[in-house]
Amino acid sequence: MKRSTTALAAGILAALPMAGFAADSSDPIVIPIHNWSSQIVMSNVVGQILEGMGNNVEYVTTDSQAVYESVRLGDVTLEMEVWEGAFGASFRAAMEKGGIVDVGDHNAVTREDWWYPMWTKDACPGLPSWEALNDCAAVFATAETGDKGRYLDGPVDWLKHGKERVDALGMDFVVINAGSAAALWAEIGAAEADKKPVVVFNWTPNFAEAVWPGEFVEFPEWVDGCDKDPSVGPNPDALYDCGNPAKGYMKKAAWEGMEEKWPAAYAVLEQISFTNPQIAEMAKMVDIDEMEPEEAAEEWLAANKDVWMGWTQ
Amino acid sequence: MTTDAPVISAKNVWKLFGSAPEAYLKGMKPEMSFDEIRADGYIAGVKDVSIEVSRGEMLVIMGLSGSGKSTLVRCFSRLHEITGGTIEVEGQDIMSLSEKELIELRRNKMGMVFQSFGLLPHRTVLDNVAFPLEMRGQDKHARRERALEVIKLVGLEGREDYFPRELSGGQQQRVGIARSLAIEPDIWFLDEPFSALDPLIRREMQDEFLRLQQLLNKTIVFITHDFDEALRLADRIAIMKDGAVEQCDTPDQIVLHPATEYVRKFTEEIDKARVVHASTLLEPGLSGEGDPVDAAASVQSLAKLLIQDTRVAIPVAKDGTVIGAISRETALGILVGTD
Amino acid sequence: MADTTAISATAPMSRSKLASLLVGVAIVLTALQYLGFLPAALHRLPEAFVPDFARYLDAFFNFVKDDLGLFTLTRWLTGLLQTVLDTTANLLFGKRRWPNLGPIPWTAIAASMAVLGYYLGGWKMAALVAVTFCWTALVGQWKIAMETMSVLVVAAPTAFIIGLSLGIAAWKSPAFDRTLKPILSVLQTLPFFTYLLPAVIFFKVGPTAGAVATTIYAIPPMILMTTLGLQKVSPEVVEAGHMSGCTKFQLLRHVYLPSARTEILVGVNQVIMLCLAMVVLTAFIGMPGLGAKLLAMMGSFKLGRSFEIGVTIVLLAVTLDRMSKAWVVKQPEHFERGTPWWKRHIMFLLALGAFVFFCIVAQFVDVASEIGRKQSLSVGKELDVGIKWFLNIEWVKAITYFLRAFVNVQILIPFRNFLLSIPTPAFILLITAFALWLGGRRQAVTALIFFSLVALSGWWDRSVITLYSVISAVSIAMLLGLPIAIVAARTEKWSQRLLLVCDTAQTFPSFVYLIPAIMLFGITDIAVIFSILIFAMVPLIRYTIEGLRTVPPEVIEAAEMSGATRMQKLVNVELPLALPTMAVGFNQAIMFAFFMVIIAAFIGTQDLGQELQRTLAGTDLGKNFVLGICVSLMALTFDLTILKWSSDRKRMLGLEE
Ligand SMILES: Nc1ncnc2c1ncn2[C@@H]1O[C@H](COP(=O)(O)OP(=O)(O)OP(=O)(O)O)[C@@H](O)[C@H]1O
Ligand SMILES: [Mg+2]
Repeated sequence: MKRSTTALAAGILAALPMAGFAADSSDPIVIPIHNWSSQIVMSNVVGQILEGMGNNVEYVTTDSQAVYESVRLGDVTLEMEVWEGAFGASFRAAMEKGGIVDVGDHNAVTREDWWYPMWTKDACPGLPSWEALNDCAAVFATAETGDKGRYLDGPVDWLKHGKERVDALGMDFVVINAGSAAALWAEIGAAEADKKPVVVFNWTPNFAEAVWPGEFVEFPEWVDGCDKDPSVGPNPDALYDCGNPAKGYMKKAAWEGMEEKWPAAYAVLEQISFTNPQIAEMAKMVDIDEMEPEEAAEEWLAANKDVWMGWTQ
Repeated sequence: MTTDAPVISAKNVWKLFGSAPEAYLKGMKPEMSFDEIRADGYIAGVKDVSIEVSRGEMLVIMGLSGSGKSTLVRCFSRLHEITGGTIEVEGQDIMSLSEKELIELRRNKMGMVFQSFGLLPHRTVLDNVAFPLEMRGQDKHARRERALEVIKLVGLEGREDYFPRELSGGQQQRVGIARSLAIEPDIWFLDEPFSALDPLIRREMQDEFLRLQQLLNKTIVFITHDFDEALRLADRIAIMKDGAVEQCDTPDQIVLHPATEYVRKFTEEIDKARVVHASTLLEPGLSGEGDPVDAAASVQSLAKLLIQDTRVAIPVAKDGTVIGAISRETALGILVGTD
Repeated sequence: MADTTAISATAPMSRSKLASLLVGVAIVLTALQYLGFLPAALHRLPEAFVPDFARYLDAFFNFVKDDLGLFTLTRWLTGLLQTVLDTTANLLFGKRRWPNLGPIPWTAIAASMAVLGYYLGGWKMAALVAVTFCWTALVGQWKIAMETMSVLVVAAPTAFIIGLSLGIAAWKSPAFDRTLKPILSVLQTLPFFTYLLPAVIFFKVGPTAGAVATTIYAIPPMILMTTLGLQKVSPEVVEAGHMSGCTKFQLLRHVYLPSARTEILVGVNQVIMLCLAMVVLTAFIGMPGLGAKLLAMMGSFKLGRSFEIGVTIVLLAVTLDRMSKAWVVKQPEHFERGTPWWKRHIMFLLALGAFVFFCIVAQFVDVASEIGRKQSLSVGKELDVGIKWFLNIEWVKAITYFLRAFVNVQILIPFRNFLLSIPTPAFILLITAFALWLGGRRQAVTALIFFSLVALSGWWDRSVITLYSVISAVSIAMLLGLPIAIVAARTEKWSQRLLLVCDTAQTFPSFVYLIPAIMLFGITDIAVIFSILIFAMVPLIRYTIEGLRTVPPEVIEAAEMSGATRMQKLVNVELPLALPTMAVGFNQAIMFAFFMVIIAAFIGTQDLGQELQRTLAGTDLGKNFVLGICVSLMALTFDLTILKWSSDRKRMLGLEE
């Protein structure tokens, strides 16, 4: 493994017309790692590119919400995946306090909403429309919910407003909050065996797409202000009466001081942009093909030279 | 056997157990009894004891359980800080010793065998015995050799690597004895050292102690419940009750002239004929004829002679010279127990 | 015996009367509530009366942190700690830091550790060590295991040394002991999430914070065991030490500490176990290693792989525990005068030889230095299939469906709703009555104060839900665990087997249980309770077995001679005598349940754990503490009460040593 890294570095050095850049600091660039695979692989890919340029890189595992505070303080240098829906709030809060900069969007878009695995469609053929979902609410009933359907929302602290939406749209669903992402997967995994219909919170890009093909429920389309102004959306008296934005951003963020300390690396970071299929592939390499993230990153870099070589020029 | 200045000299020693013993001792009337003190919430472990032990002497302390024997000995070795009085060891007030001096004293001069052995549970027999040597900083090999020597002496060879918990009570006690033997102290405190031994080994051990004492002129304070043992070993016997020493004298005197009612009761059951020696019975002004008896002979050993003889007075000789005479009737009285 | 019962019969009479009175008031209040006559202010403390403890605490923390300069100090310490951690990190998994020698090839570590194992405990130990390290390497977890170890090798010894020193200090100074004891009680009942946040704030995200949190978490039992052990050293042994001319230091080093070895060993064992438990949990604050990998695996629904990590953790825990024990028991060897140097250090030389040999081999043979994922023998996928197969068995499904439909819907949920419907004051009175009846007046007053504080914290409903999970889980654990333990306690063989299972279940990282629990029961209360149950049953079983097996044999013989049947013997003799010990187990079960209920937040709960978990993502130190203290106060109430009962009972039965 070590050997291949050095070979890679040599390759990068050969490919780089390094001339124009001022020298980067030799202090390590600290890249945060979270607990989902695409982010880990992507961080490793970027890390290896930066290492190839002669930078020192170090990875730290951090909480995905708390990381923005760390970036702000410079404890961590950058963040590769800022999801609009999940981390938008933390990111904006950190921006307000200062110390963190927006380094542009990825090509990829994100979406988070009610989701169901494909087999659910057999029990409720009208899907993905939300009205159809509501009509077959009974299909989703469990021992605890009586005749109402059960929707498994993300953890409370993700603030997905599932309950508000059920009320606003008058749906026959009971909203239960999972305690963690792992709990969501466990629920889907348990339903998989006898193809029990379930509807849960999910997002893309995500490894789950590869494991369990599925679709998002189509709610009334997102209109700006749906979460602030009751009059927006189908129900004039309620907030959250539309689906989430179907094309949320995915940003890169960095510590304010990065541009000055590692100008070359910063320039590359600005260029970097991943697409949805690329992210899904990275996740798949780890989640389905059982590679270690570092190996997956190496492999990806080797297979996609044309993609990333462009960023480094 | 005994010579010059006393090795241990205790004067009006008090040891009270309780919450504020010093203050209590200052405030109390000296003639208060054990029970009165107890009523105030204090236990008089040692109560106004004055006693001296000379060099080369073997002092045996006896008394009922809880009478303060162990406590007194602990005061001598300053394992207890005494509440009142003074204790001098070789002319030095031990209460005034600094910690360093005290450690030196214990390392070089004192040894103690504990009533319940006090073995270090995590050390093997060998390491237990070598412990005092180790504390002195002796070299590893030297202390191992010395320890093996004394272990052999107490008959535990082959069990050097056992742990205390793997030994019987008697074997454990012998480890304790070996440990105190290892440093050959000048002053020896033995708190019921043979209580757990079988009669055979007990006798061997007694002989060993006697031998050492005579050979090396050790000073020994010995606690026992066994009168026979006391008689074999003691130069003097101290009898304690409720923390106080009732009487401290030679065995003969104690049985013949008990100082208190308590001592009389304590010694009542004892066969005096075995205790009392001819020398003790010498009566001034009396002189006898014929073959003298040995001064060190006990009345019991003279039984046959006393019964068969017809003399009124029998001469007593020490080292071949006649030193006086005893009355046959008195001796016979002791023999048959009518006093 | 007769007179003790007479005495104890009169005292609790008045106590139980008072207790019934309190219960009566509570019932009246609850009835009023149901009838709708109870003013709202008596049902729940109005928001306006809830003091903003979180803000006060925040202000206090900020004061300590910034104004008193604690922050500067801790950040300075962080630097120091970082250096040490970087060194171990370099050696063990090759982090690019001084001394830049690592990573040491896995074969070199495994081989030299196996030699060490042999030196400490013979072939068996060597085999255990070898199996552990080879397993770790072969399933492809070497690097992450070493990431964990690099922190553990710093945290565990630090906790040991600090715990030992504080323990000695507490033993020397009763005043210090008195101040330390309550702090330790709180620390021991504080949920681990409460350790994490301050660690991050003061010691920076990552291994440093992980090491600090781990160390602090592991210290309290070490202190307690040290003090306990030292106090138990027999005075005559100490006197023997004095008479051997020990200096103060020699006395401590050669007499006190070795004599207290048994207790200190228990402390060491606890330190290692807690460190390993914590080192996984610190994944939440950016500690890389087994814990982080475990979370990542769970996040991508890889049951088999997370199970494998669990096995690694158990193996490491067992190995480290056994080795540390063997090391303390190890007796020095005696060599004849003049034994050559190499002979005296043969083991060291062997270990060194193995180390160097494999370091060299690793230069040429890749697998000897590192086993990548592709070569690894992980059976994660197969395990996944196995687990899914199991969950799909018809009768398993039938049972879980029944449990969900009946136990959950008919019993648990109504019970929870009932608990929530009880007015706050009535609830507090009920707890107070319980403490009074079981413990005594002091315990009752404590319970009253503690639960009132919980009410004042403003987290009442969540606290009640937490308590509900704990009570339900412990009750079910008793129903299941006690019969199993009683049956097993009949024979030595089964006792040993069951205890082994208990040990394993306990060292297995708690997280691993969560996913199967969800897959079995969905995200329901019963899944939460199921995962707590596993943990709560361990101490119950352990102490029941211990209690039953330590009933004095002569008592049992006496019962047998009176012609008692097996059942009579159990009910009339063994159980009553074992009860005090079982109560200690019961108490621990409650403590474990409080620990696990917080973790169960990952399933999805509405209790304190969920809120605590949320605070981790932020910097809300005040709120984090208030929540932690709520858990701690409730746990302490039970702890104090039950332990008091147990010791009273023991004294009454004359079982106290
Ligand atoms: N550390 C202590 N604290 C309080 N009281 C003590 C202490 N040590 C001894 N005593 C009390 O002092 C008295 C004398 O005890 P000591 O051990 O000296 O008796 P003893 O004569 O050696 O008895 P035994 O023959 O049973 O060994 C006893 O009443 C005992 O309870
Ligand atoms: Mg005694």
